[in-house]
This record gives sequence, C-alpha cells and structure tokens, in this order.
Amino acid sequence: MGLLALGTPLVWDEAKKRADQVRQLGIQQLLEIWNSYRGNERDILLWGDEIEYLVISYDDENKNATLSLRQAEILDALAADEKLRKAGGGVPEINGTTVEFVPSPYECYLVIGLNGMLTVYRKSDPLPTFHPEFGRFMLEATPGAPFSLSWKDLLSVEPNMKLRRTIAKKHMAPHETPITLPAFPRMGRDIFTTPHYPATGSKSRSQFIPDECINPHIRFPTLAANIRSRRGSKVAINMPVFYDVNTPRPFLDPTIDYDRHLFPEDDDVRNGAAKEGHVYMDAMGFGMGSCCLQITFQAKNIGEARRLYDQLCPLGPIMLALSANTPILKGFLVDTDVRWNVISGAVDDRTEEERGLKPLKNNRWKIPKSRYDSVSTYLADDPRLRDEYNDLDLVIDEDIKKRLIDNGMDERLSTHFAHLFIRDPIVIFQETLDEPAEGKADHFENLQSTNWQHMRFKPPPPGGNIGWRVEFRSMEIQLTDFENAAFAIFTVLLTRVILSYDLNLYIPISKVDDNMTRAHIRNAVLDQKFWFRKNLFPPPRMGSRAGSARTSPASTRPVTPIAVEEEYGLFTIDEIMNGTKDRECEFIGLIPLIESYLDTVNVDVITRCELAGYLQLISKRASGELKTGASWIRDFVGNHPEYNKDSQVGDRVNYDLMKMVERLGSEGIAGDGKEQELLGRRG
Amino acid sequence: MASIQCILNTGNIMTAASEVLRSPPKSSTELITSLRSHIRSSPPSPPPSPSLSSTTKSPLYIPLPPTPEPLAEERSEYDVTVKLFHLSSAPTASHETHTRDAVKRVLENLGIETIDLLILSLPGINFDADDFANEDSTEDVEAWLATYQTLEELHQDGVISRLGISEFGTTRLEKLLPRTTIKPSVNQINVRDCCVVPKPLILFAKQEGIELLTHNDCTDILPQETLQNVLVDEFALLGEERKVMPQWVAKYTAVIRSRGVVENKGYIAMAEIH
Repeated sequence: MGLLALGTPLVWDEAKKRADQVRQLGIQQLLEIWNSYRGNERDILLWGDEIEYLVISYDDENKNATLSLRQAEILDALAADEKLRKAGGGVPEINGTTVEFVPSPYECYLVIGLNGMLTVYRKSDPLPTFHPEFGRFMLEATPGAPFSLSWKDLLSVEPNMKLRRTIAKKHMAPHETPITLPAFPRMGRDIFTTPHYPATGSKSRSQFIPDECINPHIRFPTLAANIRSRRGSKVAINMPVFYDVNTPRPFLDPTIDYDRHLFPEDDDVRNGAAKEGHVYMDAMGFGMGSCCLQITFQAKNIGEARRLYDQLCPLGPIMLALSANTPILKGFLVDTDVRWNVISGAVDDRTEEERGLKPLKNNRWKIPKSRYDSVSTYLADDPRLRDEYNDLDLVIDEDIKKRLIDNGMDERLSTHFAHLFIRDPIVIFQETLDEPAEGKADHFENLQSTNWQHMRFKPPPPGGNIGWRVEFRSMEIQLTDFENAAFAIFTVLLTRVILSYDLNLYIPISKVDDNMTRAHIRNAVLDQKFWFRKNLFPPPRMGSRAGSARTSPASTRPVTPIAVEEEYGLFTIDEIMNGTKDRECEFIGLIPLIESYLDTVNVDVITRCELAGYLQLISKRASGELKTGASWIRDFVGNHPEYNKDSQVGDRVNYDLMKMVERLGSEGIAGDGKEQELLGRRG
Repeated sequence: MASIQCILNTGNIMTAASEVLRSPPKSSTELITSLRSHIRSSPPSPPPSPSLSSTTKSPLYIPLPPTPEPLAEERSEYDVTVKLFHLSSAPTASHETHTRDAVKRVLENLGIETIDLLILSLPGINFDADDFANEDSTEDVEAWLATYQTLEELHQDGVISRLGISEFGTTRLEKLLPRTTIKPSVNQINVRDCCVVPKPLILFAKQEGIELLTHNDCTDILPQETLQNVLVDEFALLGEERKVMPQWVAKYTAVIRSRGVVENKGYIAMAEIH
C-alpha cells in the first residue's frame, strides 16, 4: 500500500465528478516523471520483498483462533519502539519518512535460520519497517533497506524475514501471533475476529464481514464503500466448493442469509449473486484481506524495466500455481488453490454496463477485466515483441493516449498507461485537488496503484534517486520464511538469467490469461499444463563472427519468423522448472539455467550451498516431490479427526491448523516430520 | 616436422545459449559444444593452410581470428574473471609464455587492459573433499611456484588485480602460501555438494583471507582426443599422421557487477599440432 495521505475523502457521487480532473492531473504528473527520468542510466540492481502477515488471536481455553483487530495498537507499539525507529525501522506512515539512519542501538540480533544457519545482524543493518494494510488484522513488513545482488545480501533475505517476524511478534500481545498465510481460513464465518463485531457495517454492507475489519484510516473504508457504490451492488465472489464425500449435492452455500433486509444490497443474493456449487463472498475484505509475496526490482534504465516487465509477465501464472497456498475460504475447502480471483472479484468496481450485462448508456466502455487481474498488454520497446502477442481486445482511453504520444511517449508505453487510465480514481481527497500537482505523483499513483495487475511497471517517484522498477505480484505468501526467501531469491536470480542469456519468454498475452485460469485449479502445479514458449534462446549465430551476434548486420537481418502458434506449447510446471525429458521440444528448464548462471559468476561455497537449498525447494515443488502449501493444508484438514469430509473447516480444525502454521513459521517444525513434505529434508 | 600453433575460440557463448545449453549444463561439455557451435556458425573460412605448413609464424585460428568484443559499458562496471587451465600436455617450462599469451589474448578480445581475478588451474591438482588423499608430500611446489610467479609479475605490472588458485586442499595451501609474494585471494573448488567442504579448509581459508569459490568445470576440460575429433569432424583439418596437443584454455567472464548480468563468457584455447 502506498503512503496514506490524510484528508477529506469524497463520497462516490462527488468523486465521480472529479474523476476526469484527477486523470488529467495524473497524466500531467506521469509526463513530468517520464521527462525527468527517461534518461536514467545504469541504476544498480536493488530489490526488495513485501511480506504480509495475518495477526492471529488465540483463545487456548476454547481452542479457537480468530483474527486480531489490533493492527493499530501493534503498529503504535512498533512505532513507539525508539530503538527500532532509530535503527531505520519502525512505521514510516506513523513516524514520517524522514527517519535519519543511525546505527542500531540493539546490540545485535542473532537469527537462526531453519537450516540452523546463524546470522548475526550487525549494529549498522537498518531494521525492518512495518506498514498498515487494508485489513485491520494485517501487517506488512519490508526490509529496512533494499537488497543488492551481493551474496551477502541474498543470504540475509531469510534471516531478515525471520527478524521481521520476530520483531512483529514481540510487539503483539502474548495470545497473538503473526502468520504468513494468504487468507484466513474462516474469514467471514461466524465469530472470526477478536473482538467480535456483527456484520452490519454500512461501508461494505457485507453479510459476513464487519466494517470493523477494515483499517479505520479513512482511505480504506472509503475504498470499500466507493467500489461498492461505483459498481452499483456489492462485489460478488463465487469460488467453486471442493466436493468431498459428505458434501451435499447440489451445494448451496449454507451461510447465506437470504432474508436480511438491512441495506438495498441485501437484494443481491435474492437476485442470484450467489452461484450454486460455490462459496459466496460479498466484500472487499475477502480479497484485500489476503496476503501476498511481492518482489520489486530496480532496473538499470527504463528500457530494461520494460523488458523485465514483459519477460516476467508469462511467469506470473506459473509462479502463482507453484506458490499455491489458499485451499480454504470462508470455512470451506474450495476447488481452487490460490487467492487471485478472490481479490480480483473483491475489488471489481465495474458497473453492469461495463461488465457487459447491460447496453452501454452511462459508461464509456465494456471492460473485460477487474482492476485486479492479469496484465493485458506487453509494453517493451523490444524488436522480439510481435504484434500478435498483444492479442487482447484492449480498452484504452484514446484521448489520454493521444496526449501521451503528442508529448513524445512511444506507442506501446502510451497504450499501457492509456489502458490503466480507463479506470476511475476511487478515493479522492478533496485537499489534493486544491494543491498544485507539480513535482508530485499523487494523482498518477491514485490510478496506478489501484490497477492491481500481476505485474506493475513503476516509474521513479519524483524528486528521489530511485529508478524505474518492476513489481512481480502474483505469488502467494508462504508458510515459512525459508519458502518465502526461496521464492524471492528464485525470482531475483531468474531476472539475472533472463538478462544474461537474453531470454525470450513471449507468448500471446491471451495465453497468459488462459494460464491464470489454469493456475487456479486445485493441484494445478502438478495436474495442469501451461502455455509456455518452446525456445527461449536468441536465434543461433548465423554466419556472423564471434560474439558480434548482438550487433552484426547478419543477426539483425529479419529472418522469416515462424508462425506465432508454433512458438509455444503446453508444458507441465515440472518441465518448465526442471527441463523436458524425452520430448521433441528440448528445454533445459529454468532451474538448470539458474544453476548454469551460478556456475558462470563467482560464488562462494557457503552461498552456493544455501542457494542450492532454495532452488531445490522450487524444483521439488515443481516435480511434486514436495507439496505446495495448499496441498499440505488440504492433507492436514483431511486427516484431522474433527473434519467430517463435508468440505467444512470448523473452529477446532482451524485452531489446530493455525497452531501448526504458527509453529511452521516460527520453528519450521510441524511435528512427526510432517514439515518435510512441505520443506524437504533440511540440513 | 615443426609444430603449428592453433588458437581456438568460442566467441561469446552467452549469445549462443540455444546451442550450448540445450541439455542440462555440464561444463565438461560446454567448451566442446560451444566450440563446435562456433565453428558451425562461422562463415566458411579459407581452407586450412594447404599442408598445414609451419613456414608461417602466425598461428592457425579456429574457426577464424577472434573479432574483439569490447565491453558495452565502462570498464569499472565489470568484474572480469579469467580461469587459466594449464593442460597436462603442456610442459611446465612453457607455462610462463602460455600465461602471458593467454592473458594478452583475453585482454585483446575484451578490449581491456586489466583482469580483476585470474584463477590458475594446474594439471594434476584435484580437490578431494577428504583433503588428505592425493596430496603426497613429494609434489613439486617449485613447479607450482614457477607458474604462479608469472601471475605475481602480472599482478605487480597491474594487469591482474587479484590472483586465485583452484582445487587446493589445506595441505597444498600450507605448502604454497609461505612461498608466495602475493597471496592468492581465491581458491576455487569443485564441490558437487557444497555442504561437504571440509571444515579445516574453511577455517584455514578464513584465517588466510582466502575466499573459497565454487565452480563446475570438469577436471579434464579439453581432452586431446575430443579436440582431435572436433578438428576432424568440423574442420576436416587433421590427417592421420597429425597429432593435436592442447596446451592451455582460458575461460573468461565479464559480469556487470552491480546488476549481476553476465555480458560475455567465452573460451580461448591453444593447441599445438604436431
């Protein structure tokens, strides 16, 4: 979440009238940034992750686990921690961002990794920072300073994540704990928060989630209310239930109250908002209360950022399936493994006209996707990007595109932003409209950061020395920091491989959409095949002399390209990660490519050993030798004596699961060696 | 019959990954595969000197004389590492000439004047995780030293910033170190499973300020027979009566330090044809 401005938010009817003004100011700010920073060169690789936590509150006497709504108090405690703040950590949103870096007064932290590796945090290492999130039961933590590519930094990722967990836990009440799980299993079910509030709030108007679950900062309730108002109904999220042997058929979500008459939106369910065979959810909190693992990279210049954006794009759905960790929603086992579509539905502010349910009258376009969805257009300035790859019927604001082009921006980048800017700003603070827009990015960010696509192309913030960045957003948060570090480091190394070997991962973007759908299916990681490019490598050197392939006329001469449909095929994730065997289409696999990269650069033995452990986790998840979090949790529920094979995950099962997840997160142990099915055998 | 010097090069194999990385990488095959690929992708060269006459002093280039591939960005952005393999068929007496020649060729190829790290690979020295075997006391420290001293000179001349050795266990290190003027700052070892690096070596290296780096090069990077086959298959070069004797291999990498991007990686090798 971006920085939280304070002010007077406009209700939707007012905001609607100012939407165009905000868009125009946003474009003005974008152009300003683009003109100032387009010439940036040679920015170094810096990267960082974001870890989001759910705060669990235990009632050990009654064996119940609920979400704690004490985010504000916990953040206050973190912000009030002088030591943390002085060490560069703390809560920027409360402390302000001008914390001057001073060495940590904490003597030093000893952090023992899951593998027994001991890391000593030196006094000078900046401590993590914590941020508020949409859910009042969530915390976000980022490293105190971005990581570089130095081996020392890569090896500090996992200890840093553990440190964040430790610090967060330290500022909670004894019965509270931070866990890393994308969605609370009993979110929106009976009594699921501490303290408990009835679900009667006027912001969400949800049957299931009280408004008190939303971060009380005025931005968040306004966001929820304005999305609902703009849409003209509550959001409607339907995820297919997992039919177990005792699950009633047909399955009609038994938790829905069809007789509530509190808000006009209570009609939604009477008008068929809930689908048979599905778990029905009706509020932003179901989605925006989910936790993700997001990685942001700084590129050397705008060109490299655009290239990485495109090349990582096809990996989004693959990494989503590989990191699957969301098998339970609203107390039901579901037939999907990931959170993505829940969030997508939770912030879908499109009107009926925009969704194509009614003919266009008041709206400008029919829009195929939610604001939170997969990327719809590639944007690199790359000769390998064939027009055929951008094969979605892209909705753009032609006027905005023209304005960008008239100001010198190229076709593809203009198209990208003209696509993002078809949306309305949801939350507008009155005060920001009265201030000069120059030198800031607030209006631009208003649109940019409420387009939650699976990649985000991030221009530099004005005035700073931060470069062009790309954010990889599809991955699910993992139960342990070992896994989170593994996924983060895998992604970072993969970007280096893409750049070093000049890989080409382009497939038509409609196939990325298709992969996104496939990634949702239960056990997609092993059971589904995904569209993937057959040959990632640059064309072989043809009669050109040594190494001049990059520049020689011979290699730039257009060769007759093969048909786009010939360029890609269906692969298992195992094949994509570990390579193909016995196939006419030979592919070495992404993990062996990373190994080959590591054999090329100078790596010390300790680092290599640690990295091997991370790569092995990814490799074995892909091959099925290790379980994803989703399938591990399914098995846990399935084997629980109180589970009745009816898809229902009750309080006691949930309590035991939360205890187990906590133990996994803090100690890497699940008892009876059960953790090995998830993490493998660790040194 | 006098011998002919034959200079082989692979070009930048990062841009030829489609050929080199078809199957899971084993660097035992990387040099050979990339050499074959480079030969095949090069335009037909003039027929190898008719009778391979040794009248001319200039070496025979395979596939062709390397075209320099200057680094794209400023020199200071890069870490340039060279690993120089002196092969078993090269006499120790030639090491000095070979070292200087190899270094010169890499510098020319990358259009640079200095190497950040040069790692020396000596024939017959293989790392053993047990750290005891294979290191008999009769080994010729003098021979290592003679070769190593050329590196020290190049260091003193400012051509090589840091020196490295490879496959040295503790016993060998203990023998070599006291005799060096410029201590190696790197020891590169091939460990399949990195977690079995012997503790004494880790401790000793730490104490001596030597970085232990990993590699995945095979012991015999350019076997005589394999090279002979390549030259026959790809170049129709050698007759029965000719024999090829590989002398040295220089593997070079140029990595953009702050971004971890490998811009150039390749091999230059020298063989004598007798």
